[in-house]
Amino acid sequence: MKPLNLIALLCFLGGATWALTRSDTSVRSIQAAYYSALSPFLKAGSAIETRARNFSKEVKHSTELEVQLECTNAELDKLKQIEQRFSALETENARLRSALEFKQNTPFTLVAARITRRQTTNWYKTVEINKGEESYIGNQNPVVTAEGLVGKIDLSAKEFSTVILLTDEKCQVAAKVEGSPEVGIVSGQRADYGKIPKLRMRFLSKNANLKKGQRVFSNGRGGIIPANILLGTIESVEPGALDSEALVVPAVNFNELVTVFVIPSAKSTQ
Amino acid sequence: MFRYALFLLLLILLAVVLQQFLPAFQPLYNARIFLLLAVFLCISVTVPLPVVFIYALICGFLWDAQCALSTDKLDLSVFPTTISSLRFGTSILLFGLAGAFMHGFQHLFIQGKWYVSSVIAGVATFIYNLVEYSLVDFIRGSFTVNRGVLQQIGYTSLFSALVAPLVFAALFLIARIADHQIIAGKRPPNRFGYSH
Repeated sequence: MKPLNLIALLCFLGGATWALTRSDTSVRSIQAAYYSALSPFLKAGSAIETRARNFSKEVKHSTELEVQLECTNAELDKLKQIEQRFSALETENARLRSALEFKQNTPFTLVAARITRRQTTNWYKTVEINKGEESYIGNQNPVVTAEGLVGKIDLSAKEFSTVILLTDEKCQVAAKVEGSPEVGIVSGQRADYGKIPKLRMRFLSKNANLKKGQRVFSNGRGGIIPANILLGTIESVEPGALDSEALVVPAVNFNELVTVFVIPSAKSTQ
Repeated sequence: MFRYALFLLLLILLAVVLQQFLPAFQPLYNARIFLLLAVFLCISVTVPLPVVFIYALICGFLWDAQCALSTDKLDLSVFPTTISSLRFGTSILLFGLAGAFMHGFQHLFIQGKWYVSSVIAGVATFIYNLVEYSLVDFIRGSFTVNRGVLQQIGYTSLFSALVAPLVFAALFLIARIADHQIIAGKRPPNRFGYSH
């Protein structure tokens, strides 16, 4: 090997070692600096993603309309289009109303946020939301919707945050099963590409007597996720040698998430 | 060379910015156009090995700044197992490996076979993603490779191979602007309008 290449390799390994040995706090500050530098581009990027998502929905709708056009006359189609727009507005209205009611009825202080980007990393299930430290959102804060738990904040920058979803293996929540003494740990599954990604509830008792459809709630242990937030419903139970595991269908439809609510930590809201 | 290297640094920063506008394709198993890696791999065949390592440091650092997850501080009495994720800095090593692999085929690019280099960029992306996923598997203590994972890696690699010719076109342009030769016998015309 040429001396220059060897020196470059050693410098490279030195740099990599330096990066690998950074503490979590240093990494957070590096990431915060990175995100604040990219902040204007991130806003534009998320706007484009939202527009692309809306466009793909519109394309889907227009394909459906084309089938209907073959059967009905043009006038009726026009009316149907108008009706469809009203229907979309009505659905959105209902969703927002439901979100508003959820915010009013919940015992927690909530910060409403909109999902701006999805799946920002290769292998971890994450989304970005448009609220951050400015809205008193901090790391590890729970993220919920009216349906149930969405995940928790992994990184909060000034104007936005990254949420690690409940469907990711790394997002672990202490849970209990309704109408049963069973408790366990719920987390996502790696490489789950299904339309409805399933959750795993581990460390149940060996002879856990659970039925399909029983609801799973957070039990508040561990101090991050408050108790009694719906996580999902039991789909099946797989007994093991020492304990058993259950497959859980999440309460939240992660593909259709638009608005979420963050529960800021008590300290930050005071 | 210095001017060319400086322009490449700007190209990398531009790729970081453009990467923010390229979401994952959910119907294609969350495959994405991994532009930063594609740009880095294409650069790797046009510069000497020491420069490849410098850019690997920069690209890996920037990619990890975007993707690294925090370390969980869970109550061990409640959560018996902690699920780890790749440490900040892992991408630097992966970029270094992928760059060195790509640099190994530099002679093909120098001969003017940029199309072969484009295919190799796809292969290098496949290896990068597979190694990265295997590392995630390894640190989480189980091996889970299914059709979805391979599809995601496969599509991402395909996108890299398709994007590579555009990146090479940009590199040829940059080389001309910086008056730097990246292909044998194709020195850009000098300021007086004739070739060497």
